[in-house]
Amino acid sequence: MLELLNVNPSSGEPIYRQLHDQIVRLIVGGQLHPEDVLPSVRQLAEHLAVNPMTVSRAMQQLVDQGWVERRRGQPSRVAARTSANSASGSSLLAPQLSELVEQARQLGVDYDQLQRLLAQYWDKE
Amino acid sequence: MESEQQPILRFNHVSKTFAVKDKLAAGHTVLSDLSITLYPGMVVGLLGQNGAGKSTLMRCALGIIDIDQGDILTLGETPAALSIQAKERIGYVPQQPFGYEGFTIDKALELHRSFYPNWDMTLEQDWLERFDLDVTQAVQKLSVGQRQSLALIMAMAYRPSLLLLDEPVASLDPIARRKFMSDLFDLALDSGSAVLFSSHITSDLERVASHVALIKKGQLVLFKEIDALREEVKLLSINDGTTLPSSYKILSQTGLNMLVDTQGDSAVITGVQSAKAVNLEQLFMELHR
Repeated sequence: MLELLNVNPSSGEPIYRQLHDQIVRLIVGGQLHPEDVLPSVRQLAEHLAVNPMTVSRAMQQLVDQGWVERRRGQPSRVAARTSANSASGSSLLAPQLSELVEQARQLGVDYDQLQRLLAQYWDKE
Repeated sequence: MESEQQPILRFNHVSKTFAVKDKLAAGHTVLSDLSITLYPGMVVGLLGQNGAGKSTLMRCALGIIDIDQGDILTLGETPAALSIQAKERIGYVPQQPFGYEGFTIDKALELHRSFYPNWDMTLEQDWLERFDLDVTQAVQKLSVGQRQSLALIMAMAYRPSLLLLDEPVASLDPIARRKFMSDLFDLALDSGSAVLFSSHITSDLERVASHVALIKKGQLVLFKEIDALREEVKLLSINDGTTLPSSYKILSQTGLNMLVDTQGDSAVITGVQSAKAVNLEQLFMELHR
């Protein structure tokens, strides 16, 4: 699972937030399943070469939001999906969509053109 | 992380001026009304141009240089009169490692570890191996990188509570620097130490630091928790005549581009065309335009 994670410390975005968002995406996207064991804070920090406090912070947020469960004496695991921690892929796309729409407007690309572009890119896969 | 604990290092309105030969001329102010406090667990990345005062700050904390105004408490003691117990808990890697010329590595370590009751021999052995140091080598004949590696072992093998690192990894390759960072976490953070780490390699600081202190001409122009910095310090592009909230602290300005500390005020302001997050390198550049 470690290979799926990677952060950019020099992006200007808090590292804990990058890590948190990536793990949420892996869960929502199905690459991580309920009950999957997560690496320890130490392992993650070592792999990402960042301050363990940063990893702790991301983990704490995930636990607080119900994405991850901590159990005494055991490694943390992905929590079972409940209404509390369900987010859809759609809602996670919000920031990118917002950016895309703004860029399109700045560049003078109208809605119809954007739709056509989207279809083009989708078919490229 | 903070207030309930005793500060590891505290600078309180510290100023230091170096006299110049011409007694009538004003001296060179190296530190100006500088206040900063380090608590256990903090890794403070110290940024600043050469000559900004970073090394002087560390030397003052160690009592190597006397200050002119203000006061400093290092592990709760006055730097000029540090007890042996305090000295056993401080680790210092100066910019140019020195000392033990005329010794071989093993003799140098033998002498050095005699000063520190908490010396970890396993760590010493591990690091000697990792840095690929031949203990029979003369210290004088080591390369800069090897000297630096030895200096790191000498400063960290006894798990000091206060670690002052002045460009400690400038001569190490990226792999060695990564390993060093990893050790820093194991050694320093686990034992509740505080680290002051000056480095020009901002990408390292982005990974390692919990806080950032930026010194410019002897003054502390910014001291912030690193994630707060990433979230609150922005590079703004504004329209002429825009009034910014009083909560914003303006750090620098070039025409209609301003570097501000929004200090947590996240309201969208009319007249601000764009607001970008900055990384440490960009922050450094903007503050030195």
